[in-house]
Amino acid sequence: MKITPFKIVVAAILAVLALVAALRATTYFVSKMEYRSPDRASAPELTPRGQGQSDEHQAQVKKDAAKPYVEAEYRAFPVVGSRVAVWVVAQLHLLFAAFVLAVPIFALIIEFIGYRTKDKRYDHLAYEFTKLLSVSFSLTATFGAFLTFMLIILYPKFTNYLMSVFSPTFLPYVLLFFAEAFFLYTYYYGWGKFSPRVHLLLGLGLNVVGTAIMLIANAWLTFMMSPRGVSEAGALISVMDAVTNFTWMPINVHRVIANVAFGGSVAGAYAAVKFLQAKTDEERAHYDWMGYIGNFVAISAFLPLPFAGYWLAKEIYAYSQTLGLTMMGGAFSWLFIIQAVLIGNLFLAANYYLWLGMGRVEGAREFQRWIKYLLVVVALCFMVWATPRSIIATVSEVRAMGGGAHPALGFLGVMSAKNTAVNILILTTFMSFLLYRRTGKIATVAWKKTGNAVQLGIFAAAAVTVIGLGILGYFVEAKVRIGLSVPQVGSVLFAMIAITAIDVPLYRNATMSAEVRWGRIPAISQYVLIFIAVTFTWLMGLMGYVRSGLRQHWHVYGVIRDTSVDAFTPTLGFATKIVSVTVLIFFALIGFVFWLATLHDKKNWDEREQA
Amino acid sequence: MKLRVPLLAKLAVLVVATTAFYTYVGQMVPQKEVYPPVETVIKADVTTADMVKIGQDIFNGKGLCTTCHTIGKKAGPFRFPDLENIGARAATREPGLSDVEYFAKSMHEPDSFIVPGFNPGMPTINKPPIGLTEQEILCVIAYLQSLGGTPNVTLATKHRYNGGAEAPVAQAAP
Repeated sequence: MKITPFKIVVAAILAVLALVAALRATTYFVSKMEYRSPDRASAPELTPRGQGQSDEHQAQVKKDAAKPYVEAEYRAFPVVGSRVAVWVVAQLHLLFAAFVLAVPIFALIIEFIGYRTKDKRYDHLAYEFTKLLSVSFSLTATFGAFLTFMLIILYPKFTNYLMSVFSPTFLPYVLLFFAEAFFLYTYYYGWGKFSPRVHLLLGLGLNVVGTAIMLIANAWLTFMMSPRGVSEAGALISVMDAVTNFTWMPINVHRVIANVAFGGSVAGAYAAVKFLQAKTDEERAHYDWMGYIGNFVAISAFLPLPFAGYWLAKEIYAYSQTLGLTMMGGAFSWLFIIQAVLIGNLFLAANYYLWLGMGRVEGAREFQRWIKYLLVVVALCFMVWATPRSIIATVSEVRAMGGGAHPALGFLGVMSAKNTAVNILILTTFMSFLLYRRTGKIATVAWKKTGNAVQLGIFAAAAVTVIGLGILGYFVEAKVRIGLSVPQVGSVLFAMIAITAIDVPLYRNATMSAEVRWGRIPAISQYVLIFIAVTFTWLMGLMGYVRSGLRQHWHVYGVIRDTSVDAFTPTLGFATKIVSVTVLIFFALIGFVFWLATLHDKKNWDEREQA
Repeated sequence: MKLRVPLLAKLAVLVVATTAFYTYVGQMVPQKEVYPPVETVIKADVTTADMVKIGQDIFNGKGLCTTCHTIGKKAGPFRFPDLENIGARAATREPGLSDVEYFAKSMHEPDSFIVPGFNPGMPTINKPPIGLTEQEILCVIAYLQSLGGTPNVTLATKHRYNGGAEAPVAQAAP
């Protein structure tokens, strides 16, 4: 728009008019509020009714003046209530925080690979992942501040208690937050501006500081679940004990792994969106590769996640059997059936994506013929895992079954069957990875037959061990059965490590039978990546709920009781609705983050006008 | 004319449909709200029969006993001891302890005696998070006695944890 002198004069007149109006309004307001002494007041003589009203007013003034200060225990949030409000804000903060902590971990690893191999593609990829960070960091901080205010306003007494216990941790937390901002923005804006080693060190600093922040925040929330370092009445004895409470380290480990899985899946979804928007084959190839790496990160972290989950559950049981049994056998037991559906879907989708990816390479038919068998195994394990111990049935059906458990299917509802199913699922998905890795490659080492045979032997031994121990679990007493999950998990971990250790040298100098044609993958694969990201996010929301809801009517389990109107455990149906709302808000916001990241690549306005 | 659906619409449908599916799964499982335990008012003049009834309510509610224990479960797996006929067995569990003393000890010092074949894990019942009062514990003892035995406790019954005499120390087996 062109600015002319006439327009400036009109604007100036309008501004003066607005100023005069504002001044008039202010004087009117001030004069109305002005104190008038009674002798200046032009009040008429009081009628008996007026006198009564005046006396009432005086009495109220006197009463107000004598009112004692009472600290509010709770305040209500309109419409949805305090619990739901804090729940949604806390979950959104956590989702963005998880993303902001996860992306630097794998961005740094990818950058390091690029540095070591001198392959610039990796450096560009790491930068592309990092582009998503700065806005996400701002959103994390905003939701963090929002959560803090919500806690202070809605749960003042409980927040005050947490502050009294953890006050020495707050200053380090704030300082670390500043340090994270410093490292993050220097890492992002300094890409290509520093020597590679300095830049890698900045990335390392970002990861160290980010992890330290997470460790402090985890101390607060795990203390609520498994308090330590306080007296029976809640008085602080040791801050260090309160920080290093029973579930602190298992949560730390579980969160780092889960964050990487979640961050990888969201980054993969970003690549999928870019793939679907791509105009050229070159763009499609790049974003196909990026999506593959994002998914690889997500699934690689996802495979050991159940093991970290076992450890966390074990520590919860060790801290309080009541808490453990409430989780697995009480109010929350059905939640794990929902979890089974989610994790089953993740395994199915991850395998499907890998199988679709085999099509990128000519001559993959040799491996593709195994897919149907893998699919059968994945589906069977999924069904076993999702089978509940007791079935929702009518009275007559329960009578016919002789109890809540189905005479045949009921046997699949116990932990022996479920542990077996999830371990076989992990092994099968690992096998899919291995087959995908081999497509288009021909091993050239002299010991390839022996290597393949040993790998197959390890697979078979691990599968037999897992299934055998699962069956044994039905015939031994509780004390022994609980311990059987350890060798089951151990054998799967051993198999994955040992087979990888053989596979790397086996295919080190492999010849390629065909090129990997990045970008040559059906579009549906990209929707699968987005489906995986949504499922991961929903899973995080659900598991966040069980971790927090497990305390039931306690703010701090066994120490500070929840006496608010929300001190009951809602139905799982209600909880899943809240999780869904949170997930939808998260994806609306992450869509905004994706959009901002794409702006980076757009031409400037002037350039587009000229074009 | 071929209708072209914008990518944004496709993505939105995918995200909403996935979320809706999981919400639907959440509605398919049993729906139950769990409320904080209701405090039981125990009058001073309750009879032993009343205490059995009150004890049963506490056993199934505030005491959270059914989270771990079963009564009359015929086949495994058992995570914690089944309490069928515990009223008849309790007096013989630990040498030198009466049934009342055994029950009281199990609730106040649960790790001091573990039933063979099981792991320790019972919480201290008179402390948070369960935090039963001594009167409530006596009512639970009355209920446990009724499972295969004859209840005989009253609110005046004393054991070593509520001001009664120290229980005799169990003699080591020769």
